[in-house]
Amino acid sequence: MKDLSTLLFFLFTAANNLCAQNCHAFLYQKDTLQYEACRIAEDANGLYQYSREYQEILDKALTKCPYFSYAYRNKSVAYLKSGDFITWKYLIDKAVEYNKKENIGYRGWCRFQFFNDYKGAIADIEELETLTKGNIGYSAGGQYHLRMAKALCYKKIDQKPKAISIIEELITDSTYSVSVFDYLHLGVLYLEGGRTEEALQTLLLQEKENDISELHYYIALCYKKIGNLKGFNEQMIIAKKMHDAGKKMTLHYTEPLDRVYLTQIEEELKQR
Amino acid sequence: MGGEIQIFVAMIIKYMGYFFILILLAQSCQNRYLPSKSLYPAMVGDISFDPMIDDSLFIVCDEDRVKQYHNLNEEPQFIGEKYNLINIFKQMYDPGKSLKESGMIRIRFIVNCKGQSGRFRILGSDYNYKEKVFDASITHQLLSITKQLKIWKVQADKDDPKDYYQYLIFKMDEGKIIEILP
Repeated sequence: MKDLSTLLFFLFTAANNLCAQNCHAFLYQKDTLQYEACRIAEDANGLYQYSREYQEILDKALTKCPYFSYAYRNKSVAYLKSGDFITWKYLIDKAVEYNKKENIGYRGWCRFQFFNDYKGAIADIEELETLTKGNIGYSAGGQYHLRMAKALCYKKIDQKPKAISIIEELITDSTYSVSVFDYLHLGVLYLEGGRTEEALQTLLLQEKENDISELHYYIALCYKKIGNLKGFNEQMIIAKKMHDAGKKMTLHYTEPLDRVYLTQIEEELKQR
Repeated sequence: MGGEIQIFVAMIIKYMGYFFILILLAQSCQNRYLPSKSLYPAMVGDISFDPMIDDSLFIVCDEDRVKQYHNLNEEPQFIGEKYNLINIFKQMYDPGKSLKESGMIRIRFIVNCKGQSGRFRILGSDYNYKEKVFDASITHQLLSITKQLKIWKVQADKDDPKDYYQYLIFKMDEGKIIEILP
């Protein structure tokens, strides 16, 4: 799972970088100012996003073209990852101002992942939905479809039925490929809503997609609720073994929703 | 004989001159990307030592190569996982002593190669991401508890333990901690 998650992360990061650097697209649109800014920004390729040089090259690109949204978005990344929410928001808002369709979904995802700004993330993703026909795309690391992220935000603002209906609609869409944590999150939502049988069935589907410690922890809780103590014991022990082996939910930079800690597993095992 | 000594001394002076020029060239190469009046530190978020507020006993092992936490691992590494961190703040933070303010507070700091922490800096905003200075009844408590944390894992890059930047963001509602990030 960790390998799959890491692979997705690097593929999406690489894809983002490659797509953003297509300067000739601006020439095709007869936007020579953005083309020139884009060529300046190419000098930042390979430099570390936190570095002074990287920031200064993108500043030069913005001097050439003040509405070059790519530079604002990429300048914002180091501030996002270092937790400077004020500078990050200023820069990413500029990127959205100059190219809403390309950047608003990304801003929504970052609000969710880095700052648990659930209402802000919902507003951004829903605005993207009004701007886009068809697929609205995935999170920056590739592990979440943006509609899935929106559903989880609704869960966190206590609108669980709405969260469930968004996920159910998403995973039954014939054009959608289920992602690495989708069944787990839906299973947990069912479990929290007292729909234990549906939770169990959904979590068992997750096992085929991506087998992780959290999955067995929540399956164990389902067994506990229906009085299957043998199943509870077996699954909780597997959850502990997998946790010890590092087979657990991971995201880059932050911890994912529905993460389970070793102490929680041990406390359940003590109560047997 | 005297002539040979003079030639030898002249050669020494000549090579010392070359050596001096080489040092100057090397320095100019190192600085070519660093304008003297840059808006930016060498890396975004760098925290330099301030004798007025920083503990002089806190030693950064390699000042020029402090990593970011995510350079060394996918996510923050807490001894006892984040569960432990959350419990410590539950036990030690007293909302009853805090003014009822809301927003986000980031405390950024360095964890050195021995797992010790220092150079703490505070940043605050409201929930519209606008800068905000929180009352000391909140920030002093958060800072004091953060300084006492002994939960930072020593992290290595390939072989040697490294210094790294870490941060905690506290989401506050009416003076209470509602979430801790990342």
